[in-house]
Amino acid sequence: MSRNVLKSAVAALALMAAAPVTAQELVIGLRAGPDSIDPHWSTLGSQAEALRHVFDTLVDVDENLQLQPGLAVSWEPVDDTTWEFKLREGVTFHDGTPFTAEDAKFSIERIPEVTGPMSMTLYTKYVDSVEVVDDLTLRVKTKGIAPALPNDFTRLFVVPSETGMEAGNEAFNSGEKAIGTGPYRFVSWQPKGDLVLERNEDYWGDAPAWERVVRKEIADDAARVAALRSGQVDLINYVPASDYLAMQNDGEVETFVSDSVYILNIAPNVKDEEPQPITVNGEEVEGNPLQDKRVREALDLAINRDVLVNVVLEGLGTPANQLMPEGFFGYTDQIGEKTYDLEKAKELLAEAGYPDGFEIDFTCTNNRVPGDSVVCEALAQMWARLGLTVDAQALNGTVFFPAAAREEYTMSMSAWGTLTGEAAYTYGALTHTKDDEKGFGNFNRTGYSNAEFDEVFGEGTQTLDADARRTLYEEASYIAMEDRALIPTVILQTVWAADAGTLEFTPRVDQETRAYAITPVE
Amino acid sequence: MAGYLLQRLVQAVIVVFAMSVIVFVGVYAIGNPIDVLIDPGATAEIRENLIRQYGLDQPLWRQYLVFLGNVAQGDMGTSMVYNIPVVDLVFSRLPATLELVLVSVCIATLIGIPAGLYAGYRPDSVGAKAIMALSVLGFSVPTFWIGMLLIMGFAVQLGWLPSGGRGDEGSILGLRTSLATADGWSHVIMPAINLSLFKMGLLIRLTRAGMVEAMSTDYVRFARAQGLPDRQIVFRHVLRNISIPIVTVFGLELGSTLAFAVVTESVFNWPGVGKLIIDSILQLDRPVMVSYLVLVVVLFVLINLTVDLVYARLDPRVRLRGEDA
Repeated sequence: MSRNVLKSAVAALALMAAAPVTAQELVIGLRAGPDSIDPHWSTLGSQAEALRHVFDTLVDVDENLQLQPGLAVSWEPVDDTTWEFKLREGVTFHDGTPFTAEDAKFSIERIPEVTGPMSMTLYTKYVDSVEVVDDLTLRVKTKGIAPALPNDFTRLFVVPSETGMEAGNEAFNSGEKAIGTGPYRFVSWQPKGDLVLERNEDYWGDAPAWERVVRKEIADDAARVAALRSGQVDLINYVPASDYLAMQNDGEVETFVSDSVYILNIAPNVKDEEPQPITVNGEEVEGNPLQDKRVREALDLAINRDVLVNVVLEGLGTPANQLMPEGFFGYTDQIGEKTYDLEKAKELLAEAGYPDGFEIDFTCTNNRVPGDSVVCEALAQMWARLGLTVDAQALNGTVFFPAAAREEYTMSMSAWGTLTGEAAYTYGALTHTKDDEKGFGNFNRTGYSNAEFDEVFGEGTQTLDADARRTLYEEASYIAMEDRALIPTVILQTVWAADAGTLEFTPRVDQETRAYAITPVE
Repeated sequence: MAGYLLQRLVQAVIVVFAMSVIVFVGVYAIGNPIDVLIDPGATAEIRENLIRQYGLDQPLWRQYLVFLGNVAQGDMGTSMVYNIPVVDLVFSRLPATLELVLVSVCIATLIGIPAGLYAGYRPDSVGAKAIMALSVLGFSVPTFWIGMLLIMGFAVQLGWLPSGGRGDEGSILGLRTSLATADGWSHVIMPAINLSLFKMGLLIRLTRAGMVEAMSTDYVRFARAQGLPDRQIVFRHVLRNISIPIVTVFGLELGSTLAFAVVTESVFNWPGVGKLIIDSILQLDRPVMVSYLVLVVVLFVLINLTVDLVYARLDPRVRLRGEDA
């Protein structure tokens, strides 16, 4: 044995000794964890976020939700109703079996068999049939033209085809079938408890920095902050606004802030008969004032978004001028920054025939997203300046959502997140005329219906060329926003916190906390 | 005795039925669980299919009958959120709550009753006044606030104890429990103290009131005249006589702590059943709600039964109805 070998061995030992021991384990305190380890059970965001560590998706998304190669390296339409995906070579599952197109096919077909109430069939609704061309080529026949199929496949987690259709939840939760291709191997999980992961040494992508990751579910905000402060966890998500302010003056803690996909939107009901009566001096008014675009515009102009952001949300927000943040597929730059103009709002309201305002109910979610109830109260006050008498109520989501689904609110506010990063998801569900056959307008609770919008948007959904589609979506966004079909208020922001100078971490707009994208500060 | 037990059993069954009906009607009145759970992007078709799949399109009475049929076959249902049988879900978290409640009840009793006895025995002493003042704090200061103070003091500032969670499990007599390890005790002690404060305050006041009253009764005076030492009078005669209200309140408190320790569990991130039920309510996870509340009813009935039996032991004058038969 030469001396060189010995020397390098010593050097290697020295290096190992120099590496900080703490860099081997990352403990994260999260507000919510998965509901199951079966990646096809639920569409819940916290579920996808957790299971991404164990399973890979065909298509990945970057921190601004734009598409990136995942287990598929490229994809393109071969004809109007067929997408072809080229799969990554040399990928193996945690049990050593190689990943092939059969596994992807099996995963797509497994979803309708096993998915729960938060149904993942949402992501396979355009899939008509799946064809394996060869080991690394997959063809998906779609029902009609489906330009958004790659976006849908960003949540398509791949399990080995050996899993078998009969394997249920228990087999995944116990770890027996929790076999993916992801950067981490599954070790253990308790519902509402800890998810323990171990580094996958054969991962096809960049090797994750942490050998072991513990994702602790700590639902209570104060408890999560305390866990960070007492050193029980290294990183927490969803820092509440009050603690964020305190942390700004604290050298021991570092915060990471990012815009989220969530925007608080006001939904004015524009049906002929409003569900909760709008009154003037206690007398119900003839017709629905909200049908008048001038009234909706007045409501919009009377909102001081700077105050909402800087005062009400303590700086943790960004003024919103449409239903998606900038940079998303279909974001239009034709709408400028929203201005606050109370005088013009009053004029418009007078023109519409309500110089002295009216009395109206306004219902919001409470504590569904940070700040919803305080924004709700602030809006009521802003509209009071316009001369309206607003009866604002913030209700628990358990009560709010079923009632909203029954379209019982004249004017309401809730958060909507464009989780796919493109316009079809949001405008198709919220502002398109309700059309069960085409699957549009499922969350259109206002009765808004504009033939021009439907046509432009509809054309977009039938256009495979990405640039032409983008232009159509931008136009559709503009029409709906100009109409005040919904009135966006603020983009909510998310805050993470860690001990100062310990971690490097790029916050994501989808609020996910991915352990393999976090590195220790050397 | 058998007749008495049978009577109680019938009562329990009726209460359980009433409870399950109330929960069914309540959830039905709030709305459709699918609307709370469903993903925003879902189409109307997906929604309809789900509603049919979970039988929510059926009239309420039929949904209820299906539920009863399943229960009769020993199937309490499966959580809509976790897709885990409800029984497994509840029992996977019950040990944690039992540990927490056991330790907190022990703390409350071991401190509360002696302190109350002392405060009643020497009502005018400084110590007694201090105990009474503290007992007021015990049940007037909100639990979550004291919890936060404890965490700030002992976990964040001093770093002596972990801020939350349950420690490593060990095994005592084949039972898996975190009370078998030092790590487990370091985790349980703060939440247990937090949870015990209210009960402790209550026990102190009850014991003191009984003590003060009893010390001026004839039998105590007679015992004193006989020359019995005070220690014997207090522990042998007085304590036994004032036990009935204490046991009653103790039983009620034990039940409600077991079922609804949710505030402490949230603040200390304790993986117990309290958090599970609150989340289930927020998500309208009806199978979990129904089964859990039924379990709570059974629990309360059992505790009340035990309390009644203890009455009979404590006070020979108490006769259980049906016992003579």
